[in-house]
Amino acid sequence: MFQREREIITSTPYTDSFDFDEIKAFITGASKNLFISHKFKTSDKILVQPRGGFPTYDKVFELYGAFTGAGVDILPLTIDSNTRLNDYEMARKMLALSEENDENMLNGYPLVNHGYRTTRKMVTHYDTPISLRHGTPDARLLVEVALASGIFEIEGGPITYLLPYSKNFPLDKAFLYWKYVERVCAEYSELNEPINRESFGPLSATLQPPAIVIVIQLLEMLLSLEEGVKSFSVSFSQTGSMSQDIVSSNVIKKLARKYAEKIGCGDADIHLVYHQWMGAFPRNKEFSDSLINTSTVIASMVRADKMITKTRDEAFGIPTKEVNAAAVRNTQYTLNMLRGIPSITDEEEEANLTEMVDDIMEAVFNDPADTLWRQVFNSIKNGIIDIPFSPHIANHGEAITVRDKNYNIRFYERGNVPISDKCLAFERSKIDLCGASLVDHIIHDIGIML
Amino acid sequence: MRVVTGVVGNDIHVVANRLIEISLKERGFEVFNLGVNTYLEEFIDAVIETDADVLLISSLNGEAEGWSRDLLFLKSRFDLDGVLFAIGGNLSVGEATSEEIVPKYKAYGYDLVFHQVDLNTGIDTIEEVLKERA
Repeated sequence: MFQREREIITSTPYTDSFDFDEIKAFITGASKNLFISHKFKTSDKILVQPRGGFPTYDKVFELYGAFTGAGVDILPLTIDSNTRLNDYEMARKMLALSEENDENMLNGYPLVNHGYRTTRKMVTHYDTPISLRHGTPDARLLVEVALASGIFEIEGGPITYLLPYSKNFPLDKAFLYWKYVERVCAEYSELNEPINRESFGPLSATLQPPAIVIVIQLLEMLLSLEEGVKSFSVSFSQTGSMSQDIVSSNVIKKLARKYAEKIGCGDADIHLVYHQWMGAFPRNKEFSDSLINTSTVIASMVRADKMITKTRDEAFGIPTKEVNAAAVRNTQYTLNMLRGIPSITDEEEEANLTEMVDDIMEAVFNDPADTLWRQVFNSIKNGIIDIPFSPHIANHGEAITVRDKNYNIRFYERGNVPISDKCLAFERSKIDLCGASLVDHIIHDIGIML
Repeated sequence: MRVVTGVVGNDIHVVANRLIEISLKERGFEVFNLGVNTYLEEFIDAVIETDADVLLISSLNGEAEGWSRDLLFLKSRFDLDGVLFAIGGNLSVGEATSEEIVPKYKAYGYDLVFHQVDLNTGIDTIEEVLKERA
């Protein structure tokens, strides 16, 4: 039945005709170097991955050449926004215009329109793991094409690709479409090295409380593992406070293991991905360089398995391949100085964060629904899971966060998020608005890196 | 006082929208936030449904002008005389001064127009006008 569904999804004039037997044979015999799950096992350094994607095949081919020359570990493939909204007709037109006029009419690579037979040539040529970066609530066709192309890491999830990106895409549909993605990844994982799934921890990248980020990471991990995925990356982005990042890392590593074992999936490999600063960047490029270097130091402190880089041109738009490659080279250079640094911790902060995460997780599991995705669905609708600065109508937006004097992100209002009075009191005890109005404080807190 | 607010058109910039909501609530307004990507008709419906005193539309991507052309027509269809119509944010796609922008939007039917004006200053002005009207 599932195979029938896959045949229907992949039968479209917008991509090349699917030969599932040939795809299976390709994945079975694919080079181990294409699997990030294999690279995680065999590498002893933090893997470095930039962001990037252009409309045409040639431009992406050149971009990968520049990245490879700069010592990249993992290549990205960022998808254009029309494809993210399943508008393959518009993507087709804009691709044609981009090819004719040698101009970028799309903000990424329209993978579905290019098709897997073409894209696979580039993937096997570079023989380096590629990560699919998108933002698509219904990624069924996109992921089929990606896996058939040899792209063996899929980012996203039903919560992290919905709440920050959409106003009214139906939440329940997103869960079901992502269930399809998990099942396809699980099926292909049996053929060779496992397909890696990665969640998108930065969310709306604006004052996101670590407790909520970690809860969402854990839930997307569980939704993936319960479908049979064997390799998963949880992630979060730089908060603006080094100590909060270290505390978050210690807690997410410990709890990912705990909850995976709780559902009988302790055999899965779980990795940690760290995103360099995802908030507003300074326009001063020297400041940007400094910020990126500091992000790299923190990635080492939190013992990430992979780090995703930014560039000094972040404030100005999509970077050129030269600037992007320079950021990779610079990050590798900095990383090389950071071997063997000792691990540190803050026990009081770790205990507080662990308690908040466990309390929210317990409330999700106590929802009377019969499946995990329905429990999570209900928990978003009733505000147990609530992220600041989401455009989505299902998100309550009643939890309010501000920074304390050390730039740690704290709960100011919890809304319906079920953290205890004790934890809320701890969070609020750290906050000092210094006489400013709440909104002025928040504006300052958003712009700390400017 | 009741305020209906939101971002007009195909504009997903949510941060300023949330800041407006928090700021209005902090000042004691009852806020009905329609969020991002809202059409003009939806704003008018919400003003009628909530019996609002103020409609505060915001825009960041600068496309608000195209979405404002029907405002006078919609105002003429309903009895909205007591309602204060305000719009703010970045109100033009390219570079433009307030001297060019403000008269244009006033002609569309807005009482108050804030082009690239600081959030606090904008809401202070709304409060002053409401006080004068009371």
